[in-house]
Amino acid sequence: MIWTLLLLHVIVILGISVAPATLGRWVFGIAALPPLATVIWGAITLGAASAPTAERSWVSGLDLSLRFEVDPLAGLMTLLVSGIGAGVFVYAAGYFSPGADGLNRFAATLLAFSTAMLGLVWSDSVWTLFLFWELTSITSFLLVGFKNTYAASRYAARRALVITVAGGLSLLAGLVVLVDQTGTAVLSEMEPVSGTGATVAAALLLAAAATKSAQFPFHVWLPGAMAAPTPVSAYLHSATMVKAGVFLVAVVAPVLDGAAGWKWIGLTLGVVTMFWGSIGALRHVDAKLILAWGTVSQLGFMITLLSMGTGKATFAAISIVFAHAIFKAALFMVVGEIDVRTGTRDIRELGGLARSMPLAFGIAVVSGLSMAGAGPVLGFAAKEAAVEGALLVDGAEGTLLIALIVGGATLTVAYTLRFMIGVFGPGPSIEVGPLRPAMAVPSALLGLGSFVLFFTLGWVNDLIRPAAEQVDPEATAYALKAWPGFTTGFQVSVGLVIAGVVVGLLAAKAPIKVPRTIGADLVDAIVDSVIVVSKKIAGRVQHGSLPVYVATMAVTASVAITPFWWSIDPDVIYRWDRPAQAVLAVIAVASGVIAAAVGSRLGAALGLGFVGLAITGIFVVHGAPDLAITQILVETVVVVGFVFGLGHLGRKFPPVGGLWRSARLIVSAIAGLSVMAALASSASAPTGEPATAELVARGVDEGGGNNIVNVILTDVRALDTLGEVVVLIVVAVGVLALRNAGRENETRGNAVQKNEARTNETSPA
Amino acid sequence: MIAPQSPIVVTGIRVVSPLAIMLAAYLFFAGHNQPGGGFAAGLVLGSIAALRMIAGMRPIADAINVLALGGVVCGVLALAPLLFGEVLLDQVVLESTLPLLGKVKGGSALVFDLGVTLIVVGLVLSVLEGLGVITSDGTIDISEARRGVR
Repeated sequence: MIWTLLLLHVIVILGISVAPATLGRWVFGIAALPPLATVIWGAITLGAASAPTAERSWVSGLDLSLRFEVDPLAGLMTLLVSGIGAGVFVYAAGYFSPGADGLNRFAATLLAFSTAMLGLVWSDSVWTLFLFWELTSITSFLLVGFKNTYAASRYAARRALVITVAGGLSLLAGLVVLVDQTGTAVLSEMEPVSGTGATVAAALLLAAAATKSAQFPFHVWLPGAMAAPTPVSAYLHSATMVKAGVFLVAVVAPVLDGAAGWKWIGLTLGVVTMFWGSIGALRHVDAKLILAWGTVSQLGFMITLLSMGTGKATFAAISIVFAHAIFKAALFMVVGEIDVRTGTRDIRELGGLARSMPLAFGIAVVSGLSMAGAGPVLGFAAKEAAVEGALLVDGAEGTLLIALIVGGATLTVAYTLRFMIGVFGPGPSIEVGPLRPAMAVPSALLGLGSFVLFFTLGWVNDLIRPAAEQVDPEATAYALKAWPGFTTGFQVSVGLVIAGVVVGLLAAKAPIKVPRTIGADLVDAIVDSVIVVSKKIAGRVQHGSLPVYVATMAVTASVAITPFWWSIDPDVIYRWDRPAQAVLAVIAVASGVIAAAVGSRLGAALGLGFVGLAITGIFVVHGAPDLAITQILVETVVVVGFVFGLGHLGRKFPPVGGLWRSARLIVSAIAGLSVMAALASSASAPTGEPATAELVARGVDEGGGNNIVNVILTDVRALDTLGEVVVLIVVAVGVLALRNAGRENETRGNAVQKNEARTNETSPA
Repeated sequence: MIAPQSPIVVTGIRVVSPLAIMLAAYLFFAGHNQPGGGFAAGLVLGSIAALRMIAGMRPIADAINVLALGGVVCGVLALAPLLFGEVLLDQVVLESTLPLLGKVKGGSALVFDLGVTLIVVGLVLSVLEGLGVITSDGTIDISEARRGVR
């Protein structure tokens, strides 16, 4: 079933990318089907006794395989990824205007992202995990940069890509160390490890998680990614992709929990991110940015809880992952709807929407309460679990954690309130466009979800408990409670809500001002300089001088050949088999010298032609008719090419300075000698039985032909041939692209020429 | 250099073309047991295409289409065995007796070779297209190119 679902995704992706644009917004309806099928399957298999698995080995010796196992945590993520995914596709149908461009591309990319995310959460082999992790980076790059005609959008996409791909490298390194430490690439078979190696793996994997899940100071890409269309933000930047880092931490936590540094790196990352994200959310006036910074803060919260390493905290972390996906996706959808219907997201311009957009207001109230962790909503139960989890930790460490978590939660209440007041509260009345049902329905369902799930906590517990148990076996003892009673945790909650309301009311009046941080600025500067430096390198290396390209390649190849000079057996160098070879060789060498020395281009072309013909002769004498035929045909085509090409150029070669000329001579001599050395060395090298006898023996039966050369080309070494024809295709497409580039310049040039021609019409050309 | 649409050249090419196509076909089919093969056949066809361009005649086909077709043929032939649980590029040889021709043997390698032929033709065409300029009536004008580029 896993394969069927993945295949279904791929087929629909391919289908809608080639579908005609006349499909319009219906394309989203088609794209919603695979996630819908997946979420139904996910819901059915939740109660299954054994987790569904699937495996397809690729290189068994290297333990490389596509290996999936939908364990409880993966099952929970599947519900989020595909459930919210299906909703987002419906939402997108309302978000885009009917005539919008590139809807098929958008739907295909978004579905590709969804597939990558499913593969990521289902993977049971670290290499599968890495593959899909990188796929989410690439597809999210394409989605963030969807409005590719806007420079800001492209910049945001590039920045997100640089940071997440750097994280991908860290992930790869971390996984290599992890596999080395645990001795297996299968995640479900890993045993806990500790020691220096484990610490290195922990640091690398946490760094990877930090880039993906926007932990300080790598969070800079997430607010920038708000340049993407809102369906993307609602899906990637709330519910799914940013959870990938949290998911990674949850998956490797059982293995690396005991590694020195794991807990402290994670806690530091999480706490700093939680606070910095909240402050960001209090600082901005764009409603979407407030939510984005809120996401940063919540991600920090999740990492903090996961890093605490206690059963209750882990349970709370998984609960928050679940609750956050539901309320944040709904809030993003509401903001997108407001953006579409009013034309702005600036909380200074928005106001009075509580009356003019009652449905959106209702959704926002429920989801906002869930975000703040107050009232009869899912987020409240999840946050209660978190506070209680912190209260369970003893000693000074416990006190510090409670203080930090309470502080973070207080700020969360504050920015939620600021968001609500800014968007829906009093303000200049703004004109509101008509309701779009496709946008309203998914957000209403999600909003309803935050509310309804609070009253079906038993079901939620059955969902979260096994997932949390997988991360920490102790977590199974805990449950979300609708009414905790007047416990210490509840009193703390009431206190922090009151404090949050006060801070929120103050911040709603005036956005707070904070100094820029060194960490975030440093990451920003590094990312920017990566882009600038790579541009510079490309400009320096690809400067466009053909002779320099050729010289670079020739010298590099010659240097690579140097080690083989010593393996030349002097016996392979002898005069000739037949005297005719000597005659042909003399002709070839003489023609070569003429081609190099002669001043006219046509003469040089002729000289080269003679070299080719003489080599054809050598092949014939040596008894290699296939080579000879190919050689002479190539010579023929090249002659025609010269006829074409020489027409463009002057009769004579342009004069060349003495220094450049000697440099070219030296390079040519080195290249020629190196080729000779390579041939002599490969003739000296044979070890063991030559393959010829076996090829002859098996050629007819298995290859289906008597001509060994061709059997080799099309059967025995057909993979090589395939590689070669791919090179030919690449070259040909490159030539065509160059021609088109040239033609663009030409049309520009022609316009100038035509103007000149018009003024000179009277004079004979 | 060569006058476009010179009747002698055009007629000459018309006469030579079928012969060259026969030669290409021979090389292609002979390739399995004797010298020749898809690459050589592609070069023969490519040189015919080139001659037509020089003479100012319509090109046989767009380079990019030929390339794409060849790429698809090779790709499909390479991947198809995977669907049947065989290894990449595995060959199927069929043997049958046909009227007139007698015993005929053909392998899927022959189709793979056809892809190679198409790609070689496509490469030659694209290089020549790159050097010349396609005029409005679909022929390639090299004299125009001379002015255009310089």
